[in-house]
Amino acid sequence: MKTNWWVRFSALMFFVLMSILVLLPTVVHLKDNSYYPIKSKINLGLDLQGGLYMIMGIDFKKVFKDEVGTYVRKIESLLKDQDIQMSTLDYNLADDTDPKLAFKISTPASMEKAKAKIKEYFSGLIRITNEGPDTLEIALSSTLKKQIEEQSIGKSIEVIRNRIDEFGVTEPEILAQGMDRIVVQLPGVKDIDRAKDLIGKTAKLEFKIVNSASANELGTWLAKVKAANITFKKGDRFSDYLKNVNDFLKADLPEGHEIAFERIKGQTAQEGEENLIPYLVESSPRLTGDDLSDARVDIDQQNNNPYVSLEFKPQGAKRFEVVTGENIGRQLAIVLDGNVYSAPQINSKIAGGRAQITLGQSGDFNRKMSEAKDLALVLRAGALPVQLDFLEQRTIGPNLGADSIDKAKTASIVGCLLVFIFAIFYYRFSGVIAVATLLLNVLFTMAILIGMEATLTLPGIAGIALTVGIAVDANIIIFEKIRDEIRKGISGQKAFEAGYTQALWTILDANITSIAAGICLLNFGSGPIRGFAVTFLIGSVVTVYTAYYGSKILFELYMNKNRSKEISI
Amino acid sequence: MIELIKHGTKFDFVGKIKYITTFSIILMMVALYGIFTKMNYGVDFRGGAEIQVKFEKNYSMEELRSSLSDAGLKGISVQTIGDDKENTVLIKVQAEEGQLNAISNSVESTLSTRFADNKSDLQKIDIVGPKAGAELRLSGIKAMLWAILSIMIYLAIRFDFRYAPGAVVSLLHDVVVVGGIVAFSGFEFSLQTVAAMLAIIGYSVNDTVIVYDRIREHEENDKTHSKTLRQHINEAVNDTLSRTVLTSGATLLVSASMFFFGGAAIKDFFFAMSIGILFGTYSSVYVAASVTILADDLMKKYQTPKKSSLKKIQA
Repeated sequence: MKTNWWVRFSALMFFVLMSILVLLPTVVHLKDNSYYPIKSKINLGLDLQGGLYMIMGIDFKKVFKDEVGTYVRKIESLLKDQDIQMSTLDYNLADDTDPKLAFKISTPASMEKAKAKIKEYFSGLIRITNEGPDTLEIALSSTLKKQIEEQSIGKSIEVIRNRIDEFGVTEPEILAQGMDRIVVQLPGVKDIDRAKDLIGKTAKLEFKIVNSASANELGTWLAKVKAANITFKKGDRFSDYLKNVNDFLKADLPEGHEIAFERIKGQTAQEGEENLIPYLVESSPRLTGDDLSDARVDIDQQNNNPYVSLEFKPQGAKRFEVVTGENIGRQLAIVLDGNVYSAPQINSKIAGGRAQITLGQSGDFNRKMSEAKDLALVLRAGALPVQLDFLEQRTIGPNLGADSIDKAKTASIVGCLLVFIFAIFYYRFSGVIAVATLLLNVLFTMAILIGMEATLTLPGIAGIALTVGIAVDANIIIFEKIRDEIRKGISGQKAFEAGYTQALWTILDANITSIAAGICLLNFGSGPIRGFAVTFLIGSVVTVYTAYYGSKILFELYMNKNRSKEISI
Repeated sequence: MIELIKHGTKFDFVGKIKYITTFSIILMMVALYGIFTKMNYGVDFRGGAEIQVKFEKNYSMEELRSSLSDAGLKGISVQTIGDDKENTVLIKVQAEEGQLNAISNSVESTLSTRFADNKSDLQKIDIVGPKAGAELRLSGIKAMLWAILSIMIYLAIRFDFRYAPGAVVSLLHDVVVVGGIVAFSGFEFSLQTVAAMLAIIGYSVNDTVIVYDRIREHEENDKTHSKTLRQHINEAVNDTLSRTVLTSGATLLVSASMFFFGGAAIKDFFFAMSIGILFGTYSSVYVAASVTILADDLMKKYQTPKKSSLKKIQA
């Protein structure tokens, strides 16, 4: 044999050895403390091990609208300090990517002063888009909008990752997709509803003063709401209901106030309006979740009730002290994502910056405990900067995954065996070489998959099986060319050399076009489909090496041992 | 030497082009009709929810359907999966944007109350919002167009521009025919179907490339220009016939085994794939050749004939 052959043969054997070493931990069960250097096993996709896959989107139109509203509230409190009263008018959503909100100044004389103050505090953040003798309309500045767009995704991902890390999922995958999409993959998660709740929670914590002066009118207002047929049905979004109620009662409620509910979870699964306790609260919060430094679960020893204890940052603690001092005797509502969790009475000025959220008196302990844990968790991990909408959700139970693997494995083995039998039957000893190279193809593809830390999905298994079917094509092309040469009466060695030389570009063409399609598939790929693209791509690249170069090495060995005889093809 | 296709066949493929072209055009029109009127879009593209449930014992389909509609769910469709023994059912429900999250809860609570004595396991839940559905549709079409475009550019560089239209038309033909058959068969058009179509594009072009390769070889060997393109094509198709049939057969062996034994989760994919392999083979032999001849005729008509229209690339 030529030295050149030995070099190529050693390279092939080296690849085989490496692949076997990489595959070993996946195939054989190794103890965690073994000395074997390679630990990485094949990653099974969600469809094979079960789990949760979801895509969430940010609706920036809505974010901008909320943000404009926030700025108008900020202006309101700014002007209040200057003794200028104002009232908010309606949104102008003619261009919903640039929502505008107008407000009316009660004393037109102070218009100039108001404008100057707004410019002083908010220049660069908002712009005045329209003004009348006593009205101003504002919108967000383009820099602010751009900033919101750029930061929302990154911040949301960070917050979600923190929450999931605390939830304890191994190998979660949280990725941005474009400017307004987040893909979350949680393999192996059993308690899917809890995970979903956790991720979806905006966790916007606010402390608002309750207005008890109008307590008597609350009943009248809510009766009016019910008469107008605004009700909360199971399956609706509670936030939509809340918004409808407040919009409907806008004229009745005292200025700067809104209705919020405490939702009492009854023993039955049915949630109706009777389980809602209404509160009239101030619209603008006195403190928010940003003022917190820590949140923990504690248990009240007296009645064995879990609660969340909050700790404020120094700045927040000072404000908390002032707020409680000014409002002794009133209730302070702790509002999370728009809903009142509890509304304790302020008995004295509270210094030291601590507060607690109780979780209601009824209900079973374990449920309250896990609720308290989740609440503390989201408060600690921070609030999502924007509300995320679920666009796509795929859940796969663990049993289905195992079942799928079994079936796909069996089918792949059946399919490949049929191809092997065909190849050996049709091409005799050359067919044996073809089968050897096909096996190498599968071996290398799996090893590369593990090496790249790619994920094996069900379509991925399909991709490997299909690659075997397609890879045999390269062998067929070579063997048919060799047969052509033999038919022309050319000797074995010459026919073999000519066959391989002629087949090279044909095989390259065929696989390059496959790879092109594979790349398009990879870009299209959502979730599990990507798995197919990955194995199909790796398989196509590997095919060129194994089916052409690999089989040539083996063929040369065969020709060397069998120089005078005819080729078995 | 075992030969499935005897060596030296002299089928007159090109001679039958007229009939074949007519057949292909009719086939594509019927397929397009199916795609636009009969296509059963899966939850990926339609939006809504799809829930696979495995019951412990036998269940009544009627009761299942009525209990779901009692729960206020809309657009309910229920079908069994696999063997009757497996007691597995696929529930499809339509929903509007805001309600998507509530659906799986609603189905779960309905099942646990109405089928209290028959434990049910929610094996798989797919929920796709209408917005995401529309996006998936768009990106699927885009991916296919990109695949075809990139293959066309490659062929134009590697071969001659004359060859590109034939390959592209045959790829479009494959995609349309597969789509049509999926539509008429009642199989669902899902993300998997799109993936299969892309794989078919990559696969079917192989056949075409191999025939083209042989045509070029023939033209290069034919120094005296004694033969027409039609003759070259005929010879090339006959030369490669054995390989074409063997390869398709081998791939079909895998694809069909996966379809029959691979389980419900990948049925859509391998149904489309198997059809694609069959029609991909047909289209590389016939459609690609016909269009190449047509393109050649057209080019000759509008251009002064060059000495050799081949762009020669040294292999």
